[in-house]
Amino acid sequence: MKKKASFFLLFFVLSSLLISQDLVLKGGTLLTVTHGVIENGILVIKGGKIEAIGKDISIPPGMEIIDCTGKFVMPGIVDSHSHIAFDFEDVNEMTDPVTPQVWMKEALDPDSENIFTTLAGGVTTVKTMHGSANVIGGVNVTIKLKYNCPVEEMIVKGVRHQLKMALGENPKRVYGKEKGQMPSTRMGNAYLMRKAFLEAQEYKNKWDEYEKALASGKKNVKPPKKDLKMETLKLVLEKKLAVDCHTYRADEIVWIINFCKEFGIELKQLSHCIDGYKVADIIAEAGVSYGGWVDWWGFKDESYDGCPYGFKIMYDAGVNIVINSDSDDEGRYLYLNAAKVLKYNDIPEEEVLKMITINPAKTLEMEERIGSLEVGKDGDVAVFDKHPLDSTSKCLMTIIEGKIYFDYTRHSIQAKE
Amino acid sequence: MLVIFFLGVIPTQAQETILIRNGKLFPIVGEQIPRGCLLIQKGRIAKIGTEITPPPGTLVIDAEGNEVYPGFIALMTAVGVTGYPGTGDDLNELGVSTPHIDPYDAINPEDDTIEVTRMGGVTTVMTISGTLNVINGKSVVLNLEGDLAEEMVIKRDVAQIFNMGAKGQVPYGPKRPGNYPQTHPGIAAFIREKLQSALEYARKAREKDKKIIQPNFEEDYVPFRRDLEMEALVPVVEKKVPALFITQNEVTLRNALNIIHEFDLKGILYATADILKFSAEIAQKKIPVIWAGTTSLPKKWEPFDLNFRTASVLAEKGILFCFDQLGFLGVNSHNVRNIFVPASLSVAHGLEEKEALKALTINPAKILGMESEIGSLEVGKRANITIWSGSPIQMSSRVLKVIIDGKLIPMTSIQTRLRDKFEKIVQDRMEKKRTKKVTISGENKLF
Repeated sequence: MKKKASFFLLFFVLSSLLISQDLVLKGGTLLTVTHGVIENGILVIKGGKIEAIGKDISIPPGMEIIDCTGKFVMPGIVDSHSHIAFDFEDVNEMTDPVTPQVWMKEALDPDSENIFTTLAGGVTTVKTMHGSANVIGGVNVTIKLKYNCPVEEMIVKGVRHQLKMALGENPKRVYGKEKGQMPSTRMGNAYLMRKAFLEAQEYKNKWDEYEKALASGKKNVKPPKKDLKMETLKLVLEKKLAVDCHTYRADEIVWIINFCKEFGIELKQLSHCIDGYKVADIIAEAGVSYGGWVDWWGFKDESYDGCPYGFKIMYDAGVNIVINSDSDDEGRYLYLNAAKVLKYNDIPEEEVLKMITINPAKTLEMEERIGSLEVGKDGDVAVFDKHPLDSTSKCLMTIIEGKIYFDYTRHSIQAKE
Repeated sequence: MLVIFFLGVIPTQAQETILIRNGKLFPIVGEQIPRGCLLIQKGRIAKIGTEITPPPGTLVIDAEGNEVYPGFIALMTAVGVTGYPGTGDDLNELGVSTPHIDPYDAINPEDDTIEVTRMGGVTTVMTISGTLNVINGKSVVLNLEGDLAEEMVIKRDVAQIFNMGAKGQVPYGPKRPGNYPQTHPGIAAFIREKLQSALEYARKAREKDKKIIQPNFEEDYVPFRRDLEMEALVPVVEKKVPALFITQNEVTLRNALNIIHEFDLKGILYATADILKFSAEIAQKKIPVIWAGTTSLPKKWEPFDLNFRTASVLAEKGILFCFDQLGFLGVNSHNVRNIFVPASLSVAHGLEEKEALKALTINPAKILGMESEIGSLEVGKRANITIWSGSPIQMSSRVLKVIIDGKLIPMTSIQTRLRDKFEKIVQDRMEKKRTKKVTISGENKLF
């Protein structure tokens, strides 16, 4: 009888931990990212939002308290270039080099195992994307890693999502080499992008005229034909969707910046951007983020000039530097890869931590909601056993909007042994 | 006459005698020396101690309290054979059984990855011939210093590479069409056939030698034809050259262990998953393991940290293991400097730091059969030495100095050259604002 009662008690406590939206993290070193470090601090999350942060603040009664003594509390890590949370077979609609009509949210699988393994690396928000086989791919989707929650709860609302575009070798290989179609050259890539947006401009004009005619009370006005491809591009021209473009070479980077400027396209991120350091000033001036790796190079001809020392050049030029994974493997230890920046560059440590928190939050236009520990922001937090830039640290707990989605003491193989 | 230099100002001419002093020595074999000296003479470690008086003409390097380690060792690389774009990628010759393929025939001392890798603290690598064939070829051990392949190679024919799961998959490509073998049992049978043939060949070859010594012209004399493929496998079946089995999972591991047992081979296991299932047998039979699965994603039903914790279990069970870290598309040369990543992740999940360092130095040296030459700071060994600003397990630590075979290495690579070039270009451009206007939209303004 006693055994059964204690089992139910345990179950109740554990399950209430999972559904709780109110949490207090007490006693840890708070790495706020934007407002310095608070030793032995207290973080209060209420209704899914950060309500209070401080050293000797009062804790509201009746709240779940998690003892973080000796541990490090940081904002949940943000990965703005990922392909998790869906079957990787769905990453590229490679039947046509221009597919803006495709929406990645329709591939989302909340039961994907890589959501959990990524959570275990302290990541809470991810922009999961179409692949780079297409010059214009599908609409990416930014999600909170609420493992096994319905898709609609995972998708971040009230934020401008981004369309995937790509230049360089991938479209050339997938279409030119493997299918004998356009694009097979960089000029082909450029042409397809230009053609798509010129057609989208025409489409937009037709619909604008129709709306104007309707509004002015004209009779017998017929709407133009709806075209789902053009609908997405129209949203981009209306700045209701932003863009993330995959680029490697310096000339492509400059080209896409100029192209987007001319068409009025909101380019938020240059993904991979291997040659970014070569044109760091141009990227900074355009207000676009570098979203790439720290030290990958050489795996493709166009990645040959990858240079980890380039971070300093970009930092000095004022680029918003974001470290991404583009991988369900590396997405689990972005904090480890971030520390590599310090190996190759004289950049302050606090700035490096920003590259996986507030900087990607800015790229996603979510800096009011995530990326740092500040009152009013989402209660998205990762607890580490040592400073996250210490390469022997590990994530102990990952919390999204006040709920615990990963807990080392429950999910580790040690707990099961 | 003493020549004293601080870490920042070192001439690059060869010096016969070098003294590193004021360093925190991590010999790997033996106790750490918090403030020690190391004397290098004629490419070898001559003395280690707390105080060493340098002989005349010594180049003295003040390590300024920084950490001194042996040069790190990475197995299963393509350094030297992947060259740079345009010269071709010489990994993976076409074929199913190509044991006679020797990467020595492709080593390019101009390979950019040589400089990049050694600047990352890895001074010695084993370069293989490929992984996509069932039987791939030989391997060489390279010191990452030298102008000719013969200067770089310190041991040849160090392991024959078998792939228990080589169904002919290539990145972005189709399976090997229409050829045998296409299945795991087929691959295992194929290897058994080849090893059996090698044993036959060895026997016949020795009989042939006997015939020549005592010729009997009345017998039918069939001239003996050399078979290079078989000759490459004879040392493997005679336990002179280790058989390195690449495995992917429990099935291929089981098949590899069976073949090692049946043919009594000197086996080495390369694993990316499931290795712990066989830990008792591997420990008992003392089979070394190249553990390349730290960053492998666990299967859906496995705990998220199974692979992060595996190295600590291997260490606990006394299994000789080293790490490997694959590149973007498998075995490569560009990502070898990241061999420390699986070590750090393993330490975070329970492996002792000193075991991690062993797995990056003396353990791979032992697996190569070269523990008398490399892998630790010990008198008599090759002077392969790296000086770090902190523990190599910390990603933020910097490699300050690299010495290979007693030669001080210039700390430059394609990447430092790119940095220097573009630092200047970007700075110059920031000083003068860009004013040129460029149109791309193509609004009929082509010309």
